[in-house]
Amino acid sequence: MAFEDIPVDVGLIYEGERIRKAQMYADLAGPKSFGAELLRVKPMDEVEDEKVTVIGPDFKDMEQGKAYPFCIYVEVAGEKLEEDLEGVFERRIHDFCNYVQGFMHLNSRDIIWCRVSKDAVSKGLSLHHVGKVLARIFKQEYEAIKKVQVTFITEPEKAKEFIEMAREVYEKRDSRARGLKDEEVDVFYGCVLCQSFAPTHVCAITPSRPSSCGAITWFEGRAAVKVDPKGPIFEIPKGELLDPVKGEYSGINKVFAEKSGGTVTRVFLHSVFEHPHTSCGCFEAIAFYIPEVDGIGIVHRDFRGVTPFGIPFSTMAGQVGGGVQTDGFVGIGVEYMRSSKFLQADGGWKRIVWMPKALKERVLNAIPEELRDKIATEEDATDLESLKKFLEEKNHPVVERWAKEEEKKEEAEEKPEEEYVEMPTVEAKAFAPGVGNITIVFKNAKIYAEKIIIKRGSK
Amino acid sequence: MIIAVSGKGGVGKTLVSSLLIKILAEKTQFDILAIDADPDSNLPEALGMEVKTTIGDIREKLGEIREELSPGQSWRSALEYEAMKALVEGDRFDLIAMGRPEGPGCYCAVNHVLREIIDTFAKNYDVVVIDTEAGLEHLSRRTTQDVDIMLIVTDCSKRGINTAKRIKELSEELDIKFKEVYIVINRAKEGLVEKIKEYAKSIGLEVIGIIPEDEIVAQYDLEGKPLIELPKDSKALKAVEEIYKKLDLEKKIEEEEDLMLYAGQRSHVTHAHVHGFAHRRVI
Repeated sequence: MAFEDIPVDVGLIYEGERIRKAQMYADLAGPKSFGAELLRVKPMDEVEDEKVTVIGPDFKDMEQGKAYPFCIYVEVAGEKLEEDLEGVFERRIHDFCNYVQGFMHLNSRDIIWCRVSKDAVSKGLSLHHVGKVLARIFKQEYEAIKKVQVTFITEPEKAKEFIEMAREVYEKRDSRARGLKDEEVDVFYGCVLCQSFAPTHVCAITPSRPSSCGAITWFEGRAAVKVDPKGPIFEIPKGELLDPVKGEYSGINKVFAEKSGGTVTRVFLHSVFEHPHTSCGCFEAIAFYIPEVDGIGIVHRDFRGVTPFGIPFSTMAGQVGGGVQTDGFVGIGVEYMRSSKFLQADGGWKRIVWMPKALKERVLNAIPEELRDKIATEEDATDLESLKKFLEEKNHPVVERWAKEEEKKEEAEEKPEEEYVEMPTVEAKAFAPGVGNITIVFKNAKIYAEKIIIKRGSK
Repeated sequence: MIIAVSGKGGVGKTLVSSLLIKILAEKTQFDILAIDADPDSNLPEALGMEVKTTIGDIREKLGEIREELSPGQSWRSALEYEAMKALVEGDRFDLIAMGRPEGPGCYCAVNHVLREIIDTFAKNYDVVVIDTEAGLEHLSRRTTQDVDIMLIVTDCSKRGINTAKRIKELSEELDIKFKEVYIVINRAKEGLVEKIKEYAKSIGLEVIGIIPEDEIVAQYDLEGKPLIELPKDSKALKAVEEIYKKLDLEKKIEEEEDLMLYAGQRSHVTHAHVHGFAHRRVI
């Protein structure tokens, strides 16, 4: 690409450049001032290619060592461009600005922080150059972008107006992004950061399912892959959609089979039953099936009390964690509870019967209004009996299931000879340093034990 | 170039770190980053700097940061921003404090990202001096990459020496790669020095410097004055200058720069680049 008219170097190698205070000419936006960046898709005739406008002082007119407001407004045009791409393009402003030697750019939206170095300013770098670089790289990276014009604002009043306008756009964009569906993306992401202690665990990250630790959303996954393509977070091609309700994809099954050494071959993203997602050890919360009320409870890490099962989070986490699939249990991130596909195969919120009060308050907006009073907390129910009573009193949707269950039972009693129930296969992986992996497989077994103790034999 | 200074609490590793930084700042043009990786140390005070936020504080705050983010925004960039804010910037060197190690809960993903952020920071400097606790936790967590030179500071006490031994063993167990490891004896008492040297030799370590008892250091400590302001005739400063010479740091850092230039094959790179960061990413 032609950058002969730019007085400093331009290239990927400058991406990690941090301008230290000692080398800095001016501080732009950041904690000492304010600013924002915005990218909009515009009609072809409204954008003049490579036009750069600077409202307020350019670098050379700034006082050395001072902080200034700073806004970046990028307008792009192209026949094939859609408004939905604005967010994706906007995040690249960060990358492309950083390609400019002597120019630093951190973060996004209305919390950006930029700096320009003394060295760059003394070589004659101006905002006009930075704008030209942005325009050219945008056109090069995205064929669909035909024209780019850039406006920088360093004048305080104009900057304030711009930030207000930008915030309105962000808000509109966010409400759309919150609704981003698994169906609308081509790839999912996988994370194996936890495999050191959960060797068969892979985290499948999709727009409707953030990682179990809650830390990595689909957007975060995409950002991570870009930063470190060979790192612990990687792309998962979706493959075929095998079950839209349970959330089973051939691409995810394949990756789990590979990364778990063949232990896990099927995964349902949106169910606690049959093939639930594996659970690492970092999950923020556990969704657990309570057969006595045919409902699902959720307990989060910070809750110190006991669940209606009589055990606290820590005990339950010890049982379901470590990278195994446990029918009826799944480790989840709190953000997943806000997903439109939250345990949809099991009935979603209609199946949730118990959760700690603190957690309920945190996700209250995600709970359908008519169910908010019907979900018990530790204040309403502390054991299975009081839970059952509470649900009956409030006429929770699961109560209807009890009636159906009764009918089924009666039918079953009439003709019991043909009934065959396949018992789930339970597999437990144990690992200890120097011992290697031990796999214990119980097939078609009915086991009841208060406690299983495995001791190492004496040497 | 990454130099780590370790030792039992109270043996004087902060003295060694801060004086090394002082010498580097005064004698060279290198860009210097100090990393305080010992929550119990007083490196910031020794350097005359004030830390408002540590990396540990940022980790604790991440929950809040995340809740405020919109769906399309990445907390990685938010962390980068916060980490840059936590950097204390001086005229000749910068400082970042790691803070306390984490509490309960999972920090795999966060630590991984923080590690990348600190590594990116570190690459912007010619030399990084890490004041690290004896458990080497930050090193084992790979908060920093491989260390070029490790200085283990000890006084003449049995406990100081045992800790030195433990640090050496730990670094082997944890598979941290050091190019060079040395012992520095602080508050040396005549008659005991030879014994410690012998002991160091028996565990396969060389003593690279001996810092005598220095009344001025004690006085500065008492008055809470930054050690970096120690006068030229301070015995401790002179001793660390000797260590600096023996380590041949200036030459080693320059050689590293040359090697990187070569690896980067940036023929048009100027001297300004050498003291920037540009070529360092290429490797």
